[in-house]
Amino acid sequence: MKRVSLVCCLALGAAFPPPCFGQAEMHSRMAAVAHPESLPPLPNSLPNWLYGRKKNHIFYKRGPYNFDLYNIDRLARDMNAVAVGHAMAYEALVTGKADSLETQIFERIHWVLEHPPRLMPDEASISPTFGRTYGVLEEVFDWTHILHAQTMDVLASTDLSDSEKDQEIEALWRYYTESVPYAITPLPMSMVFLDGQPYSMAFRDKYPKVNGLFWGYHWLQGAVYDGLYVKSLRQQKMVYDVLGDRYHATELYRTDRPFMPMFAEVSPRFSLKFPHIANAFDNLHMLHDMVNDILASDWIPTAEKERQILRAIWLVSAEAHRGEEPGQSRGDDGMHDHRHMLGMPAMGMMKFATEEIMYMDKMGWMSMADCHHCSMPLPEGADAWKAPTVSAEGWTMRARCPLCARDMAAETRGRAIFHIPTEDAFKPLVVISDDQGNLTTDRPDAVFLEQEGGHETCQKWSSAFSSRAAFDAHVAARPEFKNARPVPFQEWADLRGKKPNTYVKPEGPEGNPYDKHDEDTDEDEVDE
Amino acid sequence: MTKRAWWILVPALVLSPPRFAAAVDHNNIDAGRPLTFDDAEAIAFREFSGEVGPALVFPDGKSTGIELEAEFLYGIALNTHVGAGIEAVAGDRADSEETSFAVETMGINVLRNFNREYGNVPAFSIRGDAAFAPDGSRKGAELRVRGIASRALVQYDRLHLNVDVIVVTSPEDGERSFRPGAVLGYTRPLGYPRRFDRTGLLEVTVHASSTEDAGAVASLGAGVRQQITVRSVVDVGIRTDIAASQREPHDDLTSVAGYSLGF
Repeated sequence: MKRVSLVCCLALGAAFPPPCFGQAEMHSRMAAVAHPESLPPLPNSLPNWLYGRKKNHIFYKRGPYNFDLYNIDRLARDMNAVAVGHAMAYEALVTGKADSLETQIFERIHWVLEHPPRLMPDEASISPTFGRTYGVLEEVFDWTHILHAQTMDVLASTDLSDSEKDQEIEALWRYYTESVPYAITPLPMSMVFLDGQPYSMAFRDKYPKVNGLFWGYHWLQGAVYDGLYVKSLRQQKMVYDVLGDRYHATELYRTDRPFMPMFAEVSPRFSLKFPHIANAFDNLHMLHDMVNDILASDWIPTAEKERQILRAIWLVSAEAHRGEEPGQSRGDDGMHDHRHMLGMPAMGMMKFATEEIMYMDKMGWMSMADCHHCSMPLPEGADAWKAPTVSAEGWTMRARCPLCARDMAAETRGRAIFHIPTEDAFKPLVVISDDQGNLTTDRPDAVFLEQEGGHETCQKWSSAFSSRAAFDAHVAARPEFKNARPVPFQEWADLRGKKPNTYVKPEGPEGNPYDKHDEDTDEDEVDE
Repeated sequence: MTKRAWWILVPALVLSPPRFAAAVDHNNIDAGRPLTFDDAEAIAFREFSGEVGPALVFPDGKSTGIELEAEFLYGIALNTHVGAGIEAVAGDRADSEETSFAVETMGINVLRNFNREYGNVPAFSIRGDAAFAPDGSRKGAELRVRGIASRALVQYDRLHLNVDVIVVTSPEDGERSFRPGAVLGYTRPLGYPRRFDRTGLLEVTVHASSTEDAGAVASLGAGVRQQITVRSVVDVGIRTDIAASQREPHDDLTSVAGYSLGF
């Protein structure tokens, strides 16, 4: 796919490409009257494993890293509580206790979230009725959750080097896909299609508090990857101190999200490195949402719910998309639309998105290929790691240079996390901003090159270095910076860059596309 | 192997059938840890598991004895595991005057699960055991086939029905060569919904005695399995024979503790 930056697109006066394929149809489906006859049929010739009656437990891949997530004990416990929350809600949904989801069950889950268990519980024992009813779904969830757990273990390992971690994560992916027939597809999927089913939104509308918890879990499960990726244990703990506080104070209780948190919105660095894994986790989380919506749709008969859940599993399964490629789209129903956002192969097409821009919660319309601060193209391919990131207000964005990151964070509320690469890909600088914008770092001896100019070249004149020696070597090799002086961390922390003259505020084809759903809902209520 | 040793082997096989199974989840129930019934689930494919467990035994009318069991398991295929283990005894025992330490039995087993529990259909498994005298002092073997069905009772609690058939290939004088038996086990998570690392167990056991014309033996048992690390579980339990013929050697009380490790 040819990359076209948003800036160029605007400069040339190019019209926005048409909205994501099939969206009008999807939205008309959402607005359609809910009726069992409106449900799509099960595809023909589904594989036998979808109807399996065996347990099929497979042991996780062995490695010295297993359970190393407990190096960050608070994070490990929070993950344990996530498992409980999911299972309790599912069990309530299938045992006729849905009416107490927002009250008694919510309080029960909330207690566990506030008192997370020391050890990972067996979800099957918390949701036995759900498991008896939807055994294959439980298999799919369990197996992908193991991949989740083990990739986090690898990232939290203190025994593996960063390059070894990369290799082991790929080995885990192979183990995941090659061991079972029911792996989730690694391809980007059209969220417009998956979330455009006749039952979509049902759970979110009926149980906003518990749905908020689910999406809060998914936020944590995504955000933690960049929080762990290419960081020392000390840095990981610093980062989780911020992420964990935000998770417990805000993210778990949000009921105003327009859509589930997407992996690339909260962990863009990991998503760029392992887009197949990020896509699989997004597709897993979407499967969770689809199942929630099916179970919450009282108008769907029980037997039909089972069929629709089988169909949902099939839609996101690797087998259903075998031979297909990222970036390609085939057919006209959206199921095989694997296009993704430019600059982010781990972001499938979102509502009313084009391949250039998408609507992001709290950020508005934005491009994943360009710096959100200066609108200039972000580094790609082998250089992608050189982009700093800023995590604030629940999102994580890539920036083009350290100064862009710094100034972007200055415009946010609450604490923020900077991940600033230095000359060494494996020696990043982690900077924490407190509520007042005061910056601290684990590498106070880091120095910066800041010779501010136009943002067309900001990736050159703004850089971070792990030491004075590294700075000197860099400058010595570049005559244009012969007069540059090393800027110590504290001085850098107080810098304010000029407003980039390259900045262009992206404008989408519509306002907030997620208001559409709200309007539809309001209209339906009036009609009733 | 002496005749007295066989008198221990036989009840051991019946009262506490070779505990050659293991688990690393507190809610994965295997015979011997700490009671005598199995649930219908096999350990995971490619999983290794080891367990060890001492038991204090109080034989009827005698002093205390000690049993020690150790076992190794491997998930050899999907829904199937195989195991091998040994049992050793020391001190007083119900059916023998021997008190010295001895490795009484070595055994192998296989458990095959046919289906998970779905709808109202229990999970079904079959397990086969073969136990031998390690010193070759006795011909033949003890063979056991156990059918296992596990299903939910209400919601979180489960029933586990084990139906056993034991065949002694070379019975001695006065010894039954064919013995049926059954165990009804009950499990329930303890502490739910605030803790998720502990399971309580109960069982009722009825089986034919090992001695011809000695009738049946009935037992009760209770235990707890506690997850202590991500890979390991400790268990404690007690069992008592509540009904047994005076002609059938039996234990007033057996107190069991164990440790299971998955890797």
